[in-house]
Amino acid sequence: MHYIWKEWKENIRGKGLWLALSIIVLISVSILFRSTALSFDKGFYVLLINLFDTIIYFIPILCLFIGAFSIFQEKEQKTLIMLLTKKDSYTSFLLRKSLGLYAVVLIPILVWFFLYLLLLKFNFQLDMKAYFIFILAIVTLSLVFLQMGAAIGSFSSSRMQIIGYTIFVWFYFFFLHDFILLSFLPDVTHENVKLFSSLYFLNPLQSVRMFLETGMGVYSFGHMSRLLKAFMWTEPVFFLLGNLLFWLITSIITGITFHRKEGFE
Amino acid sequence: MKKLLLFLFVFSLTIFIYPEKNSAAENLQAIIDSLEEGAVLKLEDKTYEGNIVINKELTLIGKAKTVIKGDGTGNVISIKASNVTLKKLTVTNSGMDRNSPEEYAGIKIYTNGNILEHIKITHSFHGIYLSQAHHNKITYTQIQGMGKGEIAAQGNGIHVYYANHNLLSHNTIEGTRDGMFFEYGNNNESYENNISDTRYGLHYMYSDENIFKGNTFTMNTGGAAVMNSNRLLLEDNHFIVNYGNQSFGLLLLQANDNQIKNNTFYMNQRGIYIDQATRNAIQGNKISQNQIGIELWASSNEQVFTGNLITENTISAVTIGGTGETNFWSHEGKGNDWGNSFPLTDLNQNGIGDFPITYRSSLYQLIEDQELSYLFLKSPALAIYEKMNAALVDEKVMFNDPHPLAAAKGNYNLILFAALGLAAVLILIKGRHLLCITFGRNGRKI
Repeated sequence: MHYIWKEWKENIRGKGLWLALSIIVLISVSILFRSTALSFDKGFYVLLINLFDTIIYFIPILCLFIGAFSIFQEKEQKTLIMLLTKKDSYTSFLLRKSLGLYAVVLIPILVWFFLYLLLLKFNFQLDMKAYFIFILAIVTLSLVFLQMGAAIGSFSSSRMQIIGYTIFVWFYFFFLHDFILLSFLPDVTHENVKLFSSLYFLNPLQSVRMFLETGMGVYSFGHMSRLLKAFMWTEPVFFLLGNLLFWLITSIITGITFHRKEGFE
Repeated sequence: MKKLLLFLFVFSLTIFIYPEKNSAAENLQAIIDSLEEGAVLKLEDKTYEGNIVINKELTLIGKAKTVIKGDGTGNVISIKASNVTLKKLTVTNSGMDRNSPEEYAGIKIYTNGNILEHIKITHSFHGIYLSQAHHNKITYTQIQGMGKGEIAAQGNGIHVYYANHNLLSHNTIEGTRDGMFFEYGNNNESYENNISDTRYGLHYMYSDENIFKGNTFTMNTGGAAVMNSNRLLLEDNHFIVNYGNQSFGLLLLQANDNQIKNNTFYMNQRGIYIDQATRNAIQGNKISQNQIGIELWASSNEQVFTGNLITENTISAVTIGGTGETNFWSHEGKGNDWGNSFPLTDLNQNGIGDFPITYRSSLYQLIEDQELSYLFLKSPALAIYEKMNAALVDEKVMFNDPHPLAAAKGNYNLILFAALGLAAVLILIKGRHLLCITFGRNGRKI
């Protein structure tokens, strides 16, 4: 609880969280303006898909930055050393810090999307289940990238490193990961499609998108071929959970294993 | 005395006899049978038990809560006389048996000149079935199926079988197998219908010269599937979010000489999907934000694309299975508006671009060989993949528009771009440390 409170106090004084939130607010409001011409009963789904497709560019990088700099700040201000010399191990520090980060980033986002729902109510017929799935998608995406950010903050020793790693991670998941898979695509057969599918859904952006689009009932998987059935070997929600767990655990382990206690300019 | 006692006994029996459940309902068929030709029967606000057969010309008018409930073994209402009118009814519970000699429906029409208005149909195999019935009018009906996933266990919203010259307008169909299915139905007209969550919103098989205007298809597996049908007019329809691994806004399969005019194709997996079709005119449509704007299989020839706005699709148009050079991307010197997808100049301001647009791509091969490629259509990596392959792989011409239209003024979201630009400038202008200050150090410079 202390960590959450500390994280909150630090973040409201900083500009990062507010910048991130204002970008999200701005995007969602502008998408709402663009979508006012959509039909009352189905426009809601179109809006959510459009919003997700736009916001997906920002949430990862903002969460990466917030996570990374939040950890790094402890190094810069020497508070990390102070915390660790008391009773905390780095593991417990990182876990508590991560919880603090989740709370501080997710609560404003959730509050905003609750307010946003009220705005939507004037324009569209709401589907609460679809909206809940949308929120869940956003939350998962934020969690994964916050934790990755925390890992980056843990093992970086300078601010330039953080910027470099963050941009690399963002670039990797947006371009490189899919690009590598695209290059292997011609060789995918029924025998190796499960492996290919696991790699495909290892990209948080893809597993979150699949979960969102199928969960809202927008994307239909009808009349699947044998190959596609083998590709979708489990439900999208399990792909999402698997992805979330994989990246949380990997990031935490990376953060703990490679952490550095000192940071410098 | 004996007579009096007998009378009392019989009379007392009538008191104890349990009144027939819904006696009025039991009698609906009897009432109908007793009516004269051309009569008008006003039904009450209650549930009548079916099934009923109407075999004389009459008008049945219900109220807000009038329900005719079938016994689940056959058609709830069978119309076997011409010029019958049904208004303001809810019809429910037809037979669902697929092993029966016929496919059942909420309302099955076997005759001509009938009118159905403000009818709601639920829990029925087919909603309304027109069997060799002509010149009928079906308007403002609402048909609710079991949901999108259920294909085999249910029928279609409106099933038109060997039926011609019918008018279907302002109907709402949701969650049935196909929304409107035309099988050997010619010269039918459909206006302003709203079809969602079905397999195919509209499905034409062997049905020619039908008109389909102003209809909206949302969230179906496929918007409209036109198969083996010729000389149709599809105009001013909206195909929105028909999205899934097999999905499309409009499919033309072995369909010839159709006119596809001024429709909107928005956020579909494929906007228009053309296979083994010939001489279709695709004109003035708005095809935007689809994953693939137009997917054209090489077995298709002589389509004419003119005056369409094809923009913001992941892939504007792709030709699969060989070169698509027998299709025309402009007509009488007028091509298509490719929006922001292809940069174009129009120095002489005549509305036609100064040079032709030729789109080459290597993606066709991937899409042709590997169905999983569709999963990457939303990935930004696709653009890089295209650029890389441009240098390495032999690209093929996907289309060549000799007279592209100069793009209409884009409706960019100025506020968004301005704000993002401002944020970026603010971050950059203050030097490289600001990003770090923004995200760390409690916002303080040290």
